[in-house]
Amino acid sequence: MRDKDTILLIQDLTVGLANDPSAKILDRIGFELSAGKVLGLIGEAGSGKTVLARAIVKGISDPLVYKSGKVVYRGEDMLAVSSEKLVKIRGNSIGYIGSNPSGSLDPTLPVGNQIVEKLRSVNPSLSEKEATERVLEVLAAVRIPSPEVRFHEYPFQFSGGMMQRVMIVDALVTNPAVLIADNITQALDVTVAAQIIRLIKELRDQFSTAILFISSSLPVAEMIADEILVLQQGRVVEKATPEKLIMSPQHDYTKSLLARLPRIWGPEVKAPTAIEASTLMSVDDVYRTYLVRKKNTFNGRNAVQAVRGITLDIREGENIGIVGESGCGKSTLTRLLAWLEIPEKGTICFGGRDLSELSWKELTKLRQSFQLLLQDPYSSLPARMPVGRIIAEGLLIHKVCKKSEVRGRVLAAMKEVGLDPSIENHLTVGLSAGQRQRINIARALVLKPKLMILDETLSALDQVEQSKLFELFEKLQKTHGFTYIFISHDMALVRKVCHRVAVMYLGRIVELADNQTLFQNPAHPYSRALLSAVPTLDDHPFKSEEYLLEGEPPSPVHIPNGCVFRSRCPVSIERCKTDDPRPTPLSHGSYVACHLVVESAVDHAKILENSV
Amino acid sequence: MYLLSFLTRRLFQGAVVLLIVTFAIFTLLRIVPGDPARLIVGGMAPDEVVVQKAEELGLNDPIPIQFVRYLGDLVRGDLGNSFFRPKSGATVGAAAFDDPTRDDRAEVLTLILETIPLTLQLAGLAVVFALIMSFPLGVAAGLNPGKWQDKLAFFTGSLFVSIPNFWLGIVLAQVFSVNLGILPSLGYKGFEYTILPAVVLAIGISPFIIRTLSVSIAQVMQEEFITVAPLRGLRRSRIVGAHAIRNASIPLLNLFGIQLGALLGVLLVVELIFDYPGLGRLTINAVLQRDFPIIQGVAVFISAIFVFINIAVDLAASYIDPRLEY
Repeated sequence: MRDKDTILLIQDLTVGLANDPSAKILDRIGFELSAGKVLGLIGEAGSGKTVLARAIVKGISDPLVYKSGKVVYRGEDMLAVSSEKLVKIRGNSIGYIGSNPSGSLDPTLPVGNQIVEKLRSVNPSLSEKEATERVLEVLAAVRIPSPEVRFHEYPFQFSGGMMQRVMIVDALVTNPAVLIADNITQALDVTVAAQIIRLIKELRDQFSTAILFISSSLPVAEMIADEILVLQQGRVVEKATPEKLIMSPQHDYTKSLLARLPRIWGPEVKAPTAIEASTLMSVDDVYRTYLVRKKNTFNGRNAVQAVRGITLDIREGENIGIVGESGCGKSTLTRLLAWLEIPEKGTICFGGRDLSELSWKELTKLRQSFQLLLQDPYSSLPARMPVGRIIAEGLLIHKVCKKSEVRGRVLAAMKEVGLDPSIENHLTVGLSAGQRQRINIARALVLKPKLMILDETLSALDQVEQSKLFELFEKLQKTHGFTYIFISHDMALVRKVCHRVAVMYLGRIVELADNQTLFQNPAHPYSRALLSAVPTLDDHPFKSEEYLLEGEPPSPVHIPNGCVFRSRCPVSIERCKTDDPRPTPLSHGSYVACHLVVESAVDHAKILENSV
Repeated sequence: MYLLSFLTRRLFQGAVVLLIVTFAIFTLLRIVPGDPARLIVGGMAPDEVVVQKAEELGLNDPIPIQFVRYLGDLVRGDLGNSFFRPKSGATVGAAAFDDPTRDDRAEVLTLILETIPLTLQLAGLAVVFALIMSFPLGVAAGLNPGKWQDKLAFFTGSLFVSIPNFWLGIVLAQVFSVNLGILPSLGYKGFEYTILPAVVLAIGISPFIIRTLSVSIAQVMQEEFITVAPLRGLRRSRIVGAHAIRNASIPLLNLFGIQLGALLGVLLVVELIFDYPGLGRLTINAVLQRDFPIIQGVAVFISAIFVFINIAVDLAASYIDPRLEY
């Protein structure tokens, strides 16, 4: 039955492959979108989400083909209309936002001009001036600061979050009746993603748009959707309101999806507790600044202050997490810890020896003890080298054993990380991301390191692989006594794995605390904001209405006076404008850099008491 | 401000490059066999005259001193005088001993400035022809990878790249000038004399343009901002015309900067075949006569053009794509 509010009706939509008649990428999909309602659609990678998003607007191309079905927009089948008519609907009445905001506009032209171009393409009656005014108006409506200036800037000058706002403007500038949002928060940091979702909610109320909100994460979709479809291998297996879906899932797939969601809060969550142990690596007040050529000046240089005075002790046998948003200096810190970069100030000691004082030879020898595992399992392995040779590389460089022993050690390491020794002479082509990461681990393992630095090592893997690898890490820790540094933006992972967690903001650690304290009773307002933005189905102690941040971090080129978090801090006081808060030690080696630390900790304890 | 910083930096780099090139050319010409003094005065001249001439021209000084003297002259805009060419323009027979005073010899700078407009006209027309031929083929191939347009572009490119330019020049002259009598092909008396040599040149460079264009268009068409553009409401003509070609033109510009060298090489041959009175013919005659000042002057001049065009190419590229910085 079509109810009168239905704007877009999808019936029996089937998409297959041109060269394989039996393949079905989408299988008899049917649903409807109504004004002012958000329909969520969740599914894992490869379930056909993006194909569906594009199929609705007749945006699929070879080798994908429509097999059957209709997409009815206000009584007209989109798949059957003439291309002249299609141009009038697509981009005009039906807006589309993709998951990769940074790649969605021509990199060589200012964003404003491109939105004007789009607006005038679907609405030729508008003059250049009218279109420009309209674009500026909508840019301001999505709270992009100084829209007149940003209108003339290029896509590469925008952060991911700001660019996603631009793309929202691009979709909404024509006042569409339908908006298709394809995984729009995927590429964004949690606080920015939460801002975007809040923005979409406001816009829905303002414009009464019918929204199809596609996401790979149920907690994200749950925040905004009125109803949720679950997509599995191109088929809708369940449709329900978010509450019903979570409380009483019907389909087995939905149940397994829910079961696999990582838990962050709740009575059954067992967080690792900090251990007291001797210090393995100590980082003392390190700084790293990059000089970047400044455009539009004569020989000018910008000083990007990536890491600004970090002090951190890493204890033997612990898992320490370093979290923070893009651009906070995580990667620079990783490179410093791995001694790929040398701090311009401050010292890093490993096992009591200052790395900067070692000779080149001693350093190479010591490097065996701290190994870096990278994020991207594809680009971090040489494509034309057999697996066994890749793993042997470290042994050959460091000459730790006789040539004749190399193969035995390689095979032992392969076995230990769960790689089939028969792939020793294979190339890495065709191996899964999980297997590739195991090669990376084996490559580090053969050197018998003490410390493993994991730079987003698990973020390229799906949930199942992630937990398997995590088990492996645990096993290796038990047998070899490894210490792990997890550098990550995934709070759920950190919650599950790390004994202690350091929160970074703009090149500094603003809070270092043990897992339980940080997740239950964080001292720094930024930690609270970060936690409040984590999408989860758990009972959230930090309501995003209360803690969510506006805006984005200041640029690391122009570090403001006083507390750097002041510009976004909901509780900043007069003193924060002038005084830069230094880390204040708390119990058990924790510390926090905030003037309000004492008061806020007390206040927060009260809030928790009340809520219990 | 960016422009000023860019130009200062790049012009300085360019000057260094030119200095090195000039020194290399100067030195090479001094160490190849053959005595220029003997060549100037003629084979029949008595030895005293040869010695006297060498002394007069400073050919007996050490090479570094000769080089510094040459640089000083260069700065003053004096590229020296031809060993053989009198101001009248006619070439002096190499064996004759007529001993005109040095002042009567043509100035190299004048010779170059006389011939360069014709060469630039030829090169410019060739580039225009090449673009006219290559753009439809290359863009169509890039938009339809694997289809007949792609194959057509590939075959045309392969064909053009395999035709020897001297042979093509002769055939075109035979057909269009001798058989059909439509276009002239010898010397230069007007604009129409540029057309045939320009076609030969254009066929020489178009395979590279076709290839680069089709590859980079095909690549750009895979980019997200292109695939998502129709969903945003842009029309196909606009997507290709305003965005795909714009983004694909940067590799093309870079190619142009590099291919310039090859173009100059072909230019020499083509000018000789069509007896086109440009820089190429001047150079070849100078090489045959060992007319060092001219060879040197032309080489310095060409490398200067090369350096400046590459600066212009980079500047143009950074205007098209503001992410680029050089």
